[in-house]
Amino acid sequence: MIHQFKLGGFNVVLDVFSGGIHIVDDVAYDVIENFEKGDENRVVGILSGKYAEEDIRECYSQVSALKGEGKLFTPDTYAEMAGELKEKTGGVIKALCLHVAHTCNLNCEYCFASQGKYHGERAVMSFSVAKRAMDFLVENSGKRRNLEVDFFGGEPLMNFDVVKKTVEYARSIEKEKNKNFRFTLTTNGVLLDDEVIDFCNKEMSNVVLSLDGRKEVHDRYRVDYSGNGSWEKIVPKFKKLVEKRGGKNYYMRGTFTHFNTDFTEDIKEMLDLGFTELSMEPVVCAKGDKNELTDADLPVLLGQYEKLAEMMIERDKRGKPFTFYHYMLDLKGGPCVYKRISGCGSGTEYMAVTPWGDLYPCHQFVGEEKFRLGDIYSGVTNEKIREEFRNCNVYARRDCDGCWAKLYCSGGCAANAYHATGSVKGVYKYGCELFRKRIECAIVVALAKMRNARENADS
Amino acid sequence: MKHIETIETRNLCESAKNGGCGECQTSCQSACKTSCGIANQKCENVKEND
Repeated sequence: MIHQFKLGGFNVVLDVFSGGIHIVDDVAYDVIENFEKGDENRVVGILSGKYAEEDIRECYSQVSALKGEGKLFTPDTYAEMAGELKEKTGGVIKALCLHVAHTCNLNCEYCFASQGKYHGERAVMSFSVAKRAMDFLVENSGKRRNLEVDFFGGEPLMNFDVVKKTVEYARSIEKEKNKNFRFTLTTNGVLLDDEVIDFCNKEMSNVVLSLDGRKEVHDRYRVDYSGNGSWEKIVPKFKKLVEKRGGKNYYMRGTFTHFNTDFTEDIKEMLDLGFTELSMEPVVCAKGDKNELTDADLPVLLGQYEKLAEMMIERDKRGKPFTFYHYMLDLKGGPCVYKRISGCGSGTEYMAVTPWGDLYPCHQFVGEEKFRLGDIYSGVTNEKIREEFRNCNVYARRDCDGCWAKLYCSGGCAANAYHATGSVKGVYKYGCELFRKRIECAIVVALAKMRNARENADS
Repeated sequence: MKHIETIETRNLCESAKNGGCGECQTSCQSACKTSCGIANQKCENVKEND
């Protein structure tokens, strides 16, 4: 399958199944577009009014050569491998999302977790549950060395003591168990102080800091229970954390909704505040919610993603680059094809643990009783649900069959699919539109950065 | 080539031969938490990337 597009001054041709990317001129672009319509003479006939015959024939020969080398028109031979990785690693769990606090000190209307409570009671996780969760992860991780644990909520810092003790416990066993724990914490920032900042910077391989960008945008949703905005309170804390982080990973993560479809302005605000590792996510909310992104918003959002790509390229040229999570694309060393076709690991290699020790396929399914997998004491007992997630891969989603981006999203988010269609094997089509644009932009940003680097080396 | 510049990328067909160690990060863990992207993740198979 071929996907071709013109963006940012580049004519890009993507050979979907080899992962090959080519920058082409207009003649080659059109030859590739028409290549499968017939033989060389047929392609010459189609394009002869537009280009010199000699150029068309030269291009045709180059395209044929690349096809022969497996760099263009590569066939899809992966379908049978789709379930292999999950089968090979069957039963091995390598990541847990630890819901240490089903409560929050902010009252954000757009919260997918209903103010941290996940449609249930307020609760915090005890150390005994968290400790057992670490043992459960080690016991179920097989030979896997890298284990990921995300402290999540609600607001995990409302249970900081348990976070600290859990990290301490995990560190105490990782050597003897031959494991490497990678911790992450996602926070709204309200409870950050020097002690917490130093702890996070020492122990967390990544911190995800929730900031929506412009003060008025952020404070529209991210308010305390008295309705006061949190921007003024958290921004200095986030600055301090990032300054003291010494280059370790972090993401400033925002949410955009129907009310700030001009989200590149929020990204600019984050940059002006000195943050460079950024992520902006479309809101996840119920159908019909007033914050929901509408069909009319879609072209605006697609334009914003292109604008964001332009911003990144321009700043890279000026020596002031920044990272956008969804535009991170390592063309030379990205994931292998097994990973790309296996689908999200929710419900198989990745699970969420509630404050009571119940297991769910991922944080977004917590509170949906029918998706409860089991608990950290008895393990997975709901085999039907586990099987459903194990069989969930990009080839199991029929809607993905003709999509050029399927090796970049691996079939997308099961929770988004479920909420949009009622099936974890469905697709959230609105999300797909955004995703495809993001990948086109990510490719163009990567190509432009290569060009910038080449120009800098030449000058 | 005059008309086509081929960018150096990881060959996915080749990656089918030695890939699948599973050491890589779980998809949206530690990051966005609300969507699934695979392409922005690192390969953790040290041997294969040597």
